[in-house]
Amino acid sequence: MRVVLQQLTKRFGAVTAVDALDLEIKSGEFVGLLGPSGCGKTTTLLMIAGIYRPTGGAIVFGDHRVEHLMPKDRGIGMVFQSYALYPHMTVAQNIGFPLAMRRGVAGDEITRRVREAAALVHVDGLLARKPAQLSGGQQQRVALARALVKRPDILLLDEPLSNLDARLRHEMRGEIKRLQKEVGITAIFVTHDQLEALTMADRVALMSDARLQAYATPKELYERPVNQFVAEFIGSPPMNFFAAELGRRNGSVLATAQGIEIELPPARAPRGDGQRQATVGIRPEHLAIVAPGAGHANGEIYVIEPMGREQIVDVQIGERRLRAIAPPGFSAPLGASVGLRAAVDQLHLFDPAGGERLA
Amino acid sequence: MTGTTLPAPRAPFRPQTLIPYAVLVLATLPILVLYVWLTYSSFFPRIEGFRPVGPFTLENWRFLWDPGSVDQLRNKPAIIPLTINTFLFAISTSVVVVLISSMAGYALSRLPFPGRRMFLGGVLLLHSFPSVTLLIATFIVLRQLGLYDRLLGVILVKAAFELPFGVWIMKGFFDTVPWELEMAALVDGASRLRTWWRIVMPLVKPGLLALGILTFVQGWNEFILPFVFMPSGSQQTLSTFVRAILGEGRFVDYGLLTAVGLYYVAPVLVLFVVAQDQLMRVYAGGVKG
Repeated sequence: MRVVLQQLTKRFGAVTAVDALDLEIKSGEFVGLLGPSGCGKTTTLLMIAGIYRPTGGAIVFGDHRVEHLMPKDRGIGMVFQSYALYPHMTVAQNIGFPLAMRRGVAGDEITRRVREAAALVHVDGLLARKPAQLSGGQQQRVALARALVKRPDILLLDEPLSNLDARLRHEMRGEIKRLQKEVGITAIFVTHDQLEALTMADRVALMSDARLQAYATPKELYERPVNQFVAEFIGSPPMNFFAAELGRRNGSVLATAQGIEIELPPARAPRGDGQRQATVGIRPEHLAIVAPGAGHANGEIYVIEPMGREQIVDVQIGERRLRAIAPPGFSAPLGASVGLRAAVDQLHLFDPAGGERLA
Repeated sequence: MTGTTLPAPRAPFRPQTLIPYAVLVLATLPILVLYVWLTYSSFFPRIEGFRPVGPFTLENWRFLWDPGSVDQLRNKPAIIPLTINTFLFAISTSVVVVLISSMAGYALSRLPFPGRRMFLGGVLLLHSFPSVTLLIATFIVLRQLGLYDRLLGVILVKAAFELPFGVWIMKGFFDTVPWELEMAALVDGASRLRTWWRIVMPLVKPGLLALGILTFVQGWNEFILPFVFMPSGSQQTLSTFVRAILGEGRFVDYGLLTAVGLYYVAPVLVLFVVAQDQLMRVYAGGVKG
């Protein structure tokens, strides 16, 4: 079922938690609400769930507005950050609770559907246990089964992976993504972890300070961030930024900063002549370490962090430091002079004033 | 992990570890001595100091099966109806307090209604208020309502005096139930009332039990209220009965007094032994999954 948010707003007293949010989620789509803590993403989810009443705006499920409906009448299933399993009930009772709350679902029908939902997330062997007897990953699966057992139109997940350890997080990431596609349910999840958002979601809504910053596929967010906030937030290690002067030489645009000079390809140069200054962004993987003088900038090695598959190399250039990624074989003493070459077609230019993308 | 299992290291014995026990034993010994004294003196004809005199006897317990033969009990209500009365009083008070506290405590824990903070402050203030000072005002109110000299009236007054403590304790228990559980229940299709009943109440069950037991004991032990507000005999409770034995006539039959006294405290002692785990939770607080 499609979900549309129109000018959705939530204020708590003087604080605006969500400010005029517009978002459209297609039927069957898996959308991640991503942003730093306090950006309003969980508030948005709780408004969709019906826990919070919006201060303004509309929430549309399918063709119907639902802002006035109680959570139980919205056809949603939800997984909470703490999983919120009922501690005094067994796993089977937990999963069956949404069905027991419905009128006219027979006992054996409940038993059958609880088994079905439990099998879907591989907890059918744990039905007699209490939540306290389960591991974090098992609790997570039970919470998923409980959310799905009444066959809701929409699945909501609040920070579904944040309480799991790193290994389990990786496993559940894939599991949830597979499950969402298998069931074919429209799903929205909240996360502060960009890796989760990028790996799981079909589209990511990036929020900050109560506002929507970008809404795009992970690929678009990564490869063509619409503003500097998006560019900064997405990617690990984060993108390098430096302020540069824009000038022209022989018909092409030149970005220069202390110790750096890059000729921009036409596709990446801002249109028109007006722009004199820009914030240049480049991801570490698009900077290569070369011999001194052979690249766009020269500097000294500040520190090397081996990551196994690759190494992160910080290079000091004048007063600023740029981060590059080198292959595992790379080795150099600290302080060694090196050159940096940028993949010029991967440069991002942002307006220093508003942070909007220039080209 | 290696394959061999080492024996668990035992903490070396230190004499200091005995100190707390020594202190506790010293502190509890007088109380224990009193109970032991109470018990055996009810089974002997006479006591000199701490020493029983004469052969073992059930003479002092005659009030249970042959109250007519005990001089002191002439013109007094029979013991069995009194006991039932006392149970009725304590249980009703306990039920009223638990019922109202669990609703008021939930509202105070969850709903941001205007005047909430002031109400909470007022509850605390009332809790520390000596209820004896309210006797005359309560008397007038009971007269007006036609509840004077009736068990129901005393139950309501006792419940009212116990409510501040109950409300405060229950609010504390409700505070430990995570919001997310209630949100989950709402999303799962429950109404607010059902969420309260099916999800929240089971999680504060230790609190309900503990509060119920404590209020029961308070009611069982209550003396002033039944004494003042139920002067006529048929509605009395055991506490006023004990006082009647003590306070009448020139000589006090200590054998009878100890037997009745033991009869009176026995249910409370049994209750404490059975329910001490539950009672500890009021002070430890918290819900365990």
